[in-house]
Formats: sequence, C-alpha cells, structure tokens
Amino acid sequence: MSKLKLSGVSKAYGATLALRRGDLEVMAGEVHVLMGSNGSGKSTLCKIIAGSVRPDAGKILIDNRPITITGPRSARGHGIGIFYQELSLAAHRSVEENICLAALPIKSHLFVDRALLKQRAARYIRLFENVAGEGFSADALVGNLRPDQRQLVEIMKALASEAPILIFDEPTSALDRAQVDRFFEILRDLKRQDRGIIFISHRMDEIKAVGDRVTIIRDGETITTLNLAETDAASVIRLMVGGSGDMPASQSSAPAVVDLADGTAMIVHDLSGVGFRNVSFDVAKGEILGFGGLHGQGQSALLRAIFGAGSISSGEVLIGDSRLDASSPRDAIRRGCAYVSGDRGRDGVISGRPIIENVTPIHYLRDRLMIARPSKLRDKVAPALESMHTKFASLFHPISSLSGGNQQKVIIARWLIDRPDVLLLDDPTKGIDLSAKADLFALIRQLAAEGLGILLYSSEDAELLGNANRILVFNGGSVSRELTGADRTRYNLYQAAYEAA
Amino acid sequence: MTRILTFVREPLIIALVLIAALLYLGEMLSPGFASGGQVLRLLIVASLLGIVAAGQNVVILGGREGIDLSVGGVVSLSAIIAGNVMNGADGGIVPAILACLAAGAFFGLLNGLGVTLLRIPPLVMTLGMLGVLQGLLVVIRMGIPSGRAAPGLSGFVTQPFFFGIPGIIWLWIAIGVLMAFMLHRTVFGHRIYAIGSNEHAAYMAGVPVRLMRIALFMISGMFAAIAGMCLLGYSGSSFANVGEQYTLSSIIAVVFGGTSLAGGKGGYTGTMAGAILLVILQSILTTVNIDESGRQMVFGATLLLLMMFYGRGRAMRA
Repeated sequence: MSKLKLSGVSKAYGATLALRRGDLEVMAGEVHVLMGSNGSGKSTLCKIIAGSVRPDAGKILIDNRPITITGPRSARGHGIGIFYQELSLAAHRSVEENICLAALPIKSHLFVDRALLKQRAARYIRLFENVAGEGFSADALVGNLRPDQRQLVEIMKALASEAPILIFDEPTSALDRAQVDRFFEILRDLKRQDRGIIFISHRMDEIKAVGDRVTIIRDGETITTLNLAETDAASVIRLMVGGSGDMPASQSSAPAVVDLADGTAMIVHDLSGVGFRNVSFDVAKGEILGFGGLHGQGQSALLRAIFGAGSISSGEVLIGDSRLDASSPRDAIRRGCAYVSGDRGRDGVISGRPIIENVTPIHYLRDRLMIARPSKLRDKVAPALESMHTKFASLFHPISSLSGGNQQKVIIARWLIDRPDVLLLDDPTKGIDLSAKADLFALIRQLAAEGLGILLYSSEDAELLGNANRILVFNGGSVSRELTGADRTRYNLYQAAYEAA
Repeated sequence: MTRILTFVREPLIIALVLIAALLYLGEMLSPGFASGGQVLRLLIVASLLGIVAAGQNVVILGGREGIDLSVGGVVSLSAIIAGNVMNGADGGIVPAILACLAAGAFFGLLNGLGVTLLRIPPLVMTLGMLGVLQGLLVVIRMGIPSGRAAPGLSGFVTQPFFFGIPGIIWLWIAIGVLMAFMLHRTVFGHRIYAIGSNEHAAYMAGVPVRLMRIALFMISGMFAAIAGMCLLGYSGSSFANVGEQYTLSSIIAVVFGGTSLAGGKGGYTGTMAGAILLVILQSILTTVNIDESGRQMVFGATLLLLMMFYGRGRAMRA
C-alpha cells in the first residue's frame, strides 16, 4: 500500500532549479533510500515533504489522498516526522525534555506533566540501552553529551513523534557500529508496524543492510527506483554519475604529472586531529592536489588544522625543510601559508569595512607595517584585484556592496600581494556564480604555474576533475584512495567516496 | 534627495546641529550662556569627558560586546594618586603623570586579561573592576578629600595657555588628531575595526585578536588616568568618587557620536561632538534648575531620540 506519493514536484530558487522533477513513492512497511550527490536535490525533496519548503508544482498524496503541506506543523499533522541532520536540540535542556519537546505532556491545561514526560521519554531511551555510552541518562543535559549521543537524542526525538512516515536524513553519520546496528533493528521493527521510512545515507553498506528500495536523484531529477536486492553498488553509482561517468578528466584541463624538479612545497606526515586521522601526502611546487569525497569527511578540518585554526594531536607538517607547527593562523601566514574558505561570511569578509581594508591585512602582517598609507597601499591592492577581473567602483566602498563572487575575489586578492608558498583552498567557490568560478580557477592554475603548492578541497567534483593533478578521496576522516592520471574519473571519485570506510 | 537625507543622518552632522541649537536655546534661557568665556568653560568640562570617552571609544569599536565600565573608578583613582604624588608642588607633576599612566595601564591590563584569558564578558569584568576600584578608594581615603593639585596643573586646565585657550583644550584637540590618525592611518587602527566587524575573519587573516583586545583596555585605562589628573587640576583637590559620573557619560558620548555598541563602526570625531553635546545639555538643565532626577530623564530620552534618528543601521545592538 502506498504511504506517501510525490509526483512531478519541483522547486526553483530564483533562476536555479533545485528540484526539476521529483517522483517518489514510499510504501507502507518499507525503508526507502534516497541517493544522490551533493546538490542533486535530495534535501530539497525532503524539505518539501517536511513542510519547510513549499513546492512550485506537483502533487503530494498520503494514503492515496491528495494533501497540501503548508508548513512544518501541517506536515506533522499529516503524520510526517523528520530527523534533522543539523542538530535541532536545546543544549541546556535534559535528554528527556528534548525527546518530548515537540509534544510536551500537559496537565491542568498549563503545567508540564513531569511524570508522564519521564515515562514517555524512557520508552525511547530504553531502545538504545547499553549502546548509548557513558554519561548518557534521561536527566543529562544535551549540551554535555558527545556528538554521537546527541545524534541518538535526535533519533529518539524523531521516533517520539510516532509519525507513520519518518524521514531520516543521514542519521548515522556520528554513530559507532553498535549504535548503528541497534538503530537498524529499530528501523526493521518500524517496518513491521507498516510505517513508511525515507532514509538518506551515503554509505553503501548501510544502504544494503537496511534498505528495501532506492530512488536515485541526479541534477534535480529522480532518475529511477530500484529494488536493492536486485542491484549492486556499482550500478547504483553509475546511475548517480550519469552517462559520462567513465570518461577520464579532460587531459587538456589538468596535466596528470607535474614537473617535480622544483621540489616539494609541503609534506604532511601521518597527521591526526579532530575530524581526521593518519593523513599523509606531499604536494609539489606547481602542483594542484585535490581533496575529494563526500562533504565533511575531514577535508576542511585538515586544511584548517594545517593553517593553525584547528587542533593537531599527532603527526607533522613540513613546509620546505622545517616543521610548520602553526599554533595560530598568524603563525601559518608568516611561514607562507594561505587559506581561503568557502564560508566567506564567517572566515573572510570584514563586513562593513572598505574593500581596501579587506585586502590589506595579510600585507600588514607579512611586511610588518605600522602605518597604513592609502596612496601606497592602493598601488599594491589595485593590481591584485585587477588580476582577477574584480568589479568594483572604488576601493573605499564597503565590501558588502559587492556580489558574492566579487567578495570572494577580494578575499583571495589579499593573498596575492605577498605571495605564499602553499595555498589551502577550502571549497573556495561555494555560492558564487559561474563566471567568478572561471576567473578563480584561471587564477589558481596560474598560481600553480608560478610554483605555488596548492591544496584544493571542493564539494563539486567537476572542479576537482578539471583542475587537480592528483585527487585524494577522503572517507571518514582519512584518505581512502588516491586517483592519478587516467583514473581521475567521475565514476572512480564516486565509488571511492561512497564506499564504506 | 536620498543623498541629502543620508548626509543629514550622519551622527556627526546631527550632533553639530544639536550643539548649535542647544547653545542658542541656552542663550535664550539665560543670556550670557553662549558667551566666549562660558563656552570655554563648557569646552574644558567637555574635554575631561572627551578624554575618557576616547578610551571608551576604542574598546567599544573593538566589538565582542566591548565596553569599559571601570573608567569612572580609574578616573577617581588617578585623581587621588596624582593629588598625593604632587601634593601642591609643580615638581611632582611628571612623577604624577607616570604614576597615573602606570595605574591606568595596570587596571586596563587586568580588564584585558580577564576578558581574553578568562573569557569573562567585558560588561561583567569591568563592572567587577569598578567595584574593586571603588572599594579600594574607600579603603585608602575613607572618602575624605586628599591631595592637592600643583599650580602648574591647575593653570594648564583652567587658565588660558595659548591663543587664550586653556591647555587642556589643546590637549584634547591633539588627542582628537592622534585618534583620527591612529584609527584611519595605522595598521593598529585598521585592526581595531577588523576585530570589531568580524573577529573570526580577522583571526584567520593573522590579526592577534587577544593582544589587540588587551591593548584596547590598557588604552582605555590610560585615557581615564589622564582625565583623572586633569580633573584634579580642574577641581583642585580630589575625593573618592570624583570620577564616578564618567562611566555612564563616556558611554553616552560615544553613542551620541554615532559609534555602534556592536563594534566595528564609528569614530572619534563623532564622539568629540557627542561629549560637547552632552556637556551643553547638562549645563542647560542646570541653568533652568532641573533637579537630578529630571536631568536623568532628559538624558535618557535624548539618547533614545537620537538612536531613532540615526536610523536602524546604527541601532544599539549590544
């Protein structure tokens, strides 16, 4: 029996089609897996079902009756419960309060019924008995829990909705093996109760273990739905990648081998820290080394740690012949490192200040300047901005008057006055337009040609395949595969990314 | 038209217009209010406030809820130290200056360390420091006036010094020029705005954020110390809570001048105008015999009114 059916659902944000055509049917008593790469439209699809995004077109049926979902409350009213990937917990409240937050038991129309709340929460806490780990109890504050324990609370909260249709968007990302196994037992139990479950995961082994059917989304379109029992990982990945997946990266764009005569720019040896472990690689002068894999597999954490903005627990980073050991970005910058983050708003833009002051901080530090003379600085800042075709009316206008792409060019320009030796790029093109992207990559390749060692993490595979000389694929915090030469294909990149760690 | 409106909404312009209007109003209420000698007296009082507000200004510009509530205590402490070190002798002026600056820097350092190393919010840290200073002053002096200003210091503050204008006003002008230069033409100044606008981005661009913040509190302490000395010169002798009023009025002067309490936006020129405006307002209220509670109400109302006029972009977001 069909529990939930979507047909022809679409959603556009301005000119961007986030979801071109979404067709999905979830049966009662099945775990239905959604698969697609980053930005393929699966989270938009989930948001539409959960009511946080309203579709532009299409039909939604629950139990074969057409319905309209007007918002999250209405979705809940229609029997849809969701596990949120970005944690939605109240850190200063206890585990049991968080579990029952959506529907607090009330007595006398006014007061929270604590006894009933305890009793209700205990039911879900018991499900994860013995696997929740040390320090986990009904009255523990959520803010004091480990990430995996918080994720368990999030799962319990979703279960407590007792909704007939449940959406789990990457519920296992922080869990350990025993916790995952227990969670899958619970899912199987829910299946027996004839609930419909939508399950998003990037791990092939999990999908095979718990899923019944899989729907594949590519470029905003649901491609097909398959029975997981009758298919294998390779064909699922092939469907996700699309027709051109086996084609090697175009050789004209990035050579496979760099002339190594210039020597190495940076060596990373067995580096471990928060979010990554045992990572080793070296990058030659003039080389662009790509970091691939799914989002959040340690790429950003590693780049930030090298730059001195994260913690390193063991291993070493060598720049030239000496250890880097940056204790702060200030240290790293002095030693010739540069870091550009895709999260401009947090890491880059000094909002409200003039463009010129957004370019000069690195120059101040590296040239040990005390006095800022606008006339002198202008001669250094203007060429750096022009080399990237940055559009601006005046250097003294606030940076916030620029578009996202031009802001990012300003942030990159700050590293061009005094050239670094190693450039760390942490998904640098996030949220900027195509022409700005093209300008950025032209510059990045020119910098490589001038002898910089470049580490490039990108969440867009095309950027890696088109620009990186080698690609390290990250999975669960460590490098699972290195792609070189003709191996640098979309297919291989996906396969390495989606394999179990 | 929009451009004119934007121009009119500049806090500095508003403050200057209000200053002129209040002077005119004062002259109407009490002839002689806007006479040369009277204006000079107002400027002397304003420069005392303005010097304290210079330190307050840099701390607020540095952001992260930066505020220095201990300035009032430092002003009092400095007045007492200076009074006792010089004790009426001109020869004691230089040692007094050094002692006061050292004391101001020391308490600023403590504030800075508390805010950066112990991560105590500036509001709490400096409020605590104010309490410590007030207690300290009571313990050393029991509230009895003590120490006398050297004649040289009193003359510098109250007597014409150059072109008929007292030295303290020249000092204030010099501080104004220095502050403008520091904020807009030095790396240090650009870094103040950077940490006030986006502390994390500044950190990622190699700005030593903690050191900067400690430096800002030390600067604030030292400006308060200078003001404390000048206050001693103005009043002749000092008592324990002589500087009390400067905590709140320095903040109001900074906000009057258009500096955002959220940090990263504003400058000292506006604050100077804000200090003058506040002093004239105080003086008018005294002239028309409004009592203390009435004055407080007028201050509060004026502050709110100006905030509305400055527009939402400059709203007090703490």
